Amino acid sequence: MAAPISTRVLDWFRARLPIDALSEFARHKQVPRYRGSIWYYFGGVSLFLFIIQVITGILLVMYYQPGVQTGYESVRFIVVHVKFGWLVRSIHTWSANLMIGSVFIHMFSVYFTKAFRSPRELTWLTGFALLALCMGFGFSGYLLPWNTLAFFATKVGTAIVATTPMVGRGLMEILRGGKDVGAETLTRFFGLHIAVMPAIFTIVLGAHLVLIQIQGMHEPHGWKDSPPEQRRYMPFFPNFVLRDLLLWLIVLNVLAILAVMFPWEVGLKADPNAAAPMGIKPEWYFLFMYQALKYFPGKILMLDGDAVGVLLFGVAGLLWVVVPFWDARLPEGSRNRILNWIGVLVLIGMIVLTGIGLS
Amino acid sequence: MSARTALPVALALAAALALDARLPAAEAPAGHPAAVDQCYSCHHDGGTPQAEAYAHDVHYQNGVTCADCHGGDPTLEDKDEGMSRARGYRGKIRSSDIPSICGRCHGPGNAEFKIRFHLSNVSDSLAAGVHGEALRNNDKGPQCVSCHGVHDIVRVDDPASPVSPRRVARTCAKCHGDAAYMREFNPRLPVDQYEKYLTSVHGKRNAAGDARPATCVSCHSNHMVMRVKDPRSPVYATRVPETCATCHANAKYMAPYHIPTDQYAQYRRSRHGIALLEKSDLNAPACNSCHGNHGAAPPGAASVVAVCGNCHQANGELYMKSPHKDAFARLNLAGCVVCHGNHGVQEPTDALVSLQAGGPCAKCHKDDGSDRAAPAIRRMRALLDSLSLGQADADRTLRHAEQLGMDVADAKYDLKDVRQALVQSRVAIHSFKVADLADAVHPGIKVLASSRKSAAEAVHDFYFRRKGLVISTLIVTITAVLLWLKIREIERDQEAGRG
Repeated sequence: MAAPISTRVLDWFRARLPIDALSEFARHKQVPRYRGSIWYYFGGVSLFLFIIQVITGILLVMYYQPGVQTGYESVRFIVVHVKFGWLVRSIHTWSANLMIGSVFIHMFSVYFTKAFRSPRELTWLTGFALLALCMGFGFSGYLLPWNTLAFFATKVGTAIVATTPMVGRGLMEILRGGKDVGAETLTRFFGLHIAVMPAIFTIVLGAHLVLIQIQGMHEPHGWKDSPPEQRRYMPFFPNFVLRDLLLWLIVLNVLAILAVMFPWEVGLKADPNAAAPMGIKPEWYFLFMYQALKYFPGKILMLDGDAVGVLLFGVAGLLWVVVPFWDARLPEGSRNRILNWIGVLVLIGMIVLTGIGLS
Repeated sequence: MSARTALPVALALAAALALDARLPAAEAPAGHPAAVDQCYSCHHDGGTPQAEAYAHDVHYQNGVTCADCHGGDPTLEDKDEGMSRARGYRGKIRSSDIPSICGRCHGPGNAEFKIRFHLSNVSDSLAAGVHGEALRNNDKGPQCVSCHGVHDIVRVDDPASPVSPRRVARTCAKCHGDAAYMREFNPRLPVDQYEKYLTSVHGKRNAAGDARPATCVSCHSNHMVMRVKDPRSPVYATRVPETCATCHANAKYMAPYHIPTDQYAQYRRSRHGIALLEKSDLNAPACNSCHGNHGAAPPGAASVVAVCGNCHQANGELYMKSPHKDAFARLNLAGCVVCHGNHGVQEPTDALVSLQAGGPCAKCHKDDGSDRAAPAIRRMRALLDSLSLGQADADRTLRHAEQLGMDVADAKYDLKDVRQALVQSRVAIHSFKVADLADAVHPGIKVLASSRKSAAEAVHDFYFRRKGLVISTLIVTITAVLLWLKIREIERDQEAGRG
């Protein structure tokens, strides 16, 4: 009697791909099970939201037409006339925000659990690159509907870049494609958003995931020294994968509720000649920087206050990225304390500044 | 010879005569400065017209001598000495210098003198006005003597004065009726004001000897005459009603004419008055828009439609083709005023089209079955209501959909066409023909139907989304619960296997 079709299909693939080896790898991969295991899932949630971004983004690009005369109109067409277009756009926007939130949580959890330490420096670096790309996605995508808020927020955002010492103005003009935000800005943001950044993101994400699989899950500090009976693990497959899937379903529900109950508005079409409306501010994930820059005086020792601010943020960001390298130089005992304090201060600072900015 | 050319000639003549000195003293009353005024004595005795006239001049009567204006020393019998430059003799006075010479008494200084003779600072007023500006730009421009005369100036309330109420219009017309002269100052300014004035109620009464009706200075002011487009002018668009009301709202002043004095009070509360006075809409009509300005007169029943039709052109044209035109003419009814009123005209509403007692239609039409116009009136009202009430309903539904977070911008935009149709219908009703009104209403009704449909679809879509959310959330939740149970089962099996 011939084997069932599913077995035959599996055999066909088995003959061509190392399915058994992968299956064996997954079956033997262990995930530590402890109080902080919940933080392992945020990488997966971010990945899930990225997949949603890709799917809804592809659907949107079927109708979206970049251009000063068409951008806003095509988004309105998607929202009003395309069947479930409103839902696709709303999910795309909400999942983008949730993804950035999830990536931030993932980054801080890695930081506080010290998962960036050797040998995972590369995973940390690729992860940070992914966060930067996510924010770049947010910044470039925000302009695409070409509405008033997006237009002026982009103007403000790109103007901040111009305060970077030496290269600021040049960078701003590269970003804008000219001296001001206009048609050139829109088309290059569109190109960045749907082609350049997805390509880079996919490569970096692939590297990030491969590194995780090669290095395995990070084990908490002192885990290896604890007695074997106190060290509990769960198999990566099926246990961890199914739990990941469960969380994805919950996130999907949250996303659906947000998208339907609070659909993202299209707003009013951008008018470059109009005065900027009151209270223009960037998206919430840039607010802590935007708000902090407001506290810098106009001049600091002959230097432009904003330029000093941008420079300080650049240095702070760089120090944050290379934390695995300077952390390794700290005395062993004080490592956790100093890092925790820095992390707590950064986190509180970001939350407070974002809160002030939102209010 | 016109007043403006008469002056230099008169002054030149006076100067020439003044050269003929040592004339016997005139018969000036004792104590009068002219009693020792050699200028006056010689010119008077010589019988010069200037000196003859000056004997009746208000200035002469109040002790102003020739030398006060012309300079020189009037006490000297030697005319060469008295009329020498060394004695301050200026002879013929330049036209543009006259306001400053008159201004020595009628200007800002010499307070004591002004108090004594009750004079005001009119030379500064003249300089600030359009006449002063004309004089600065052109020596032929008007100055004091252009209106008041030269050596024969009398009080304004003296009927002989060229600026007395009965003569002032003619005096103004000397320049303002002279197209060649006016071309030098403002070629675009009409020169028919005086002719029109003579046809006005004001002008006719003035000509009949009544000094009370308005003359040029009543509205334009006298010394400080401003351009009509200057907001300081009493006849600037937004100030016209108040200027007219100075007389027309004064019951005591208007008592002899037996006409109402509540026009201004009505106008201020009217649609026109609110637009002009409160919203500063200079397109809104003031008194002169309907009554005329220089030729001001009540429009009269026959011309009301033409007057209103100046602005409400389409309404006026439709009315002229309507059955009401002849009917109203037969009854001597004043067209538009019958339904809309005049000074107190309010924003018209569809309620005007009503047979109810007190409504304008009910003034002539009966709702007792005997009047064949009654069904048409009801039908026209129904057509207007279908559009206006339908628009309000669609607006409400669209707002509701919008509050639910639905995008109905396109439908809201379409609703503009309904508003347009409503405006056109409210114009079309002035033909008083059901068919014309129906033609104007129907395009709006069609848009209304599609707007309502869009609104209903948006509301339906909203609830469809909610239902979809509930169902999908339920399915995902059930899947999550089943998954959780499966995980529990797998982990139990694993625990058991390890055990």
